[in-house]
Amino acid sequence: MPRSLWTGSLSFGLVNVPVSLVSAVRDRDLHFRQLHEKDGAPIEVQRWCEKEDVEVPWEEITHAYELEDGGQVIVSDLELQAIEPRKTRTIDIEQFVDLADVDPIYFDHPYFLVPAAEDDGTKRAYQLLTEVMSQTDRAALGTLVMRTKEYLALVRERGGALMLTTMLFADEVRATKSVDAATGKAYKPSPKQLAAAVSVIEALGAEWDPDKHKDRYRDRLRRVVDRKRKGATIEVPERKKEPEPAPDLMEALERTLAEISG
Amino acid sequence: MARSIWNGTITFGLIAVPIKVNSATEDKSVHFHQVHAADGSRIKQKRICSMENKEVPYKEVAKGYELRGGKYVLLEQEEIDAAAGDSSHLIELEEFVCAAEIDPVFYDRTYYLAAGKDGGDAYRLLHDALQKTDRAGLGRWVFHNREYLVAIRPLDGVLALHTMRFADELVDPDSLDIPTPSRAPSKREIEMAGKLVESLHERFDPDAFHDSYRERVLQMIETKASGKEPALPEVEEEQDSTDLAAALEASLGGSRRKR
Repeated sequence: MPRSLWTGSLSFGLVNVPVSLVSAVRDRDLHFRQLHEKDGAPIEVQRWCEKEDVEVPWEEITHAYELEDGGQVIVSDLELQAIEPRKTRTIDIEQFVDLADVDPIYFDHPYFLVPAAEDDGTKRAYQLLTEVMSQTDRAALGTLVMRTKEYLALVRERGGALMLTTMLFADEVRATKSVDAATGKAYKPSPKQLAAAVSVIEALGAEWDPDKHKDRYRDRLRRVVDRKRKGATIEVPERKKEPEPAPDLMEALERTLAEISG
Repeated sequence: MARSIWNGTITFGLIAVPIKVNSATEDKSVHFHQVHAADGSRIKQKRICSMENKEVPYKEVAKGYELRGGKYVLLEQEEIDAAAGDSSHLIELEEFVCAAEIDPVFYDRTYYLAAGKDGGDAYRLLHDALQKTDRAGLGRWVFHNREYLVAIRPLDGVLALHTMRFADELVDPDSLDIPTPSRAPSKREIEMAGKLVESLHERFDPDAFHDSYRERVLQMIETKASGKEPALPEVEEEQDSTDLAAALEASLGGSRRKR
């Protein structure tokens, strides 16, 4: 069971479900430590005062916000704690939405909520919420305060458990207006081109099977470490040349279709 | 105009689509510098060699992979970068899946794609064909010396690229051992909960939510910048509820008034 990151309650109308939050993502990355190349000794990071040029212990460090005019405002931990939102231990469900209406661009980090009390009432309330959301394909929206930050959170059912995903706020998602998406009339594909492109996509159609896709980077990195340990030299692979855009799209589509079917 | 962070080519079959990657999201949380409380001056981080007790310049830093017994395999940054594969600026879409089948948990970061040089017609063709088929193209993308699985799909008139989480990075909900109650929720409770969900149902409107914590932090900074003391808010008590059916009933009665 992953480590609990937060404990509190999920509040749904007047029903309170004690829950704890665990990450739904495991870190599978290889981690490296910084070493001094010359002697192989680990490097330690120390915090030094820029003015006095001395090391500063943790308890003497505070936060400062840089103002536009170059000045700064010092803000203490206590002051930050004082403006932490109320009810920090409750996720209040404010509304339910259709999961299909929420574009994945808003999703940040996924977690699971697990029942945090042993009593039957807790287990039943948890199961009730899971079942109702699963039956309706609805997701709940509420706010979560964790580590002094307030998050918009979406709670939904996944695999019989409640999944909570922190969400970006609307002003953290950029407008698509400024993206050059070739919307001019001149770029509009002809019905024939579109039909051929649809055929290519359908010919390359596949079931979404997440287990099929492996993290090749992680595997290669593990091999690099293994080979290096055995004293081998590591070569940097060559860069493939990028193809040029086809002067005649229709011709490229037809050749692709011929290749796929042939 | 959005600034591009990567230029390259997407291919599907023999069709090449030159694109530029733009960021689609930005972190708006309030960031602070670390300062020394005594004199308000900036804290800088120094890399110190634990053997010599001396500062180490960046070019003398290597990466160590820890083996059992506290030994390290020493690697140069270029050797680690080699694991990214060939650093071609190429995303080959190998297969197309139904976008609706992808559970949102797999989506990690999102970027917008802009049409690259001489690629407007190919860009539009890929966009329109994906939209028509409701599919997302899957490929690999090497970015910042790391290879990602990516899904490319139409979003609000543009092509969006999502980096994807790998299945083995996700916690299996079965492994959580969610306890089952001795008595499952009754039909009546499920019905009442369903009604409560309905009464609170709204169309998703991302603009309806604001980061009120961020707003409070910025407000406090503003107050302090003008030389005033920030006011401290009060804390509210929470209430507990034990009777599930009664709580649901009470919620249904009060849900409209509450909003």
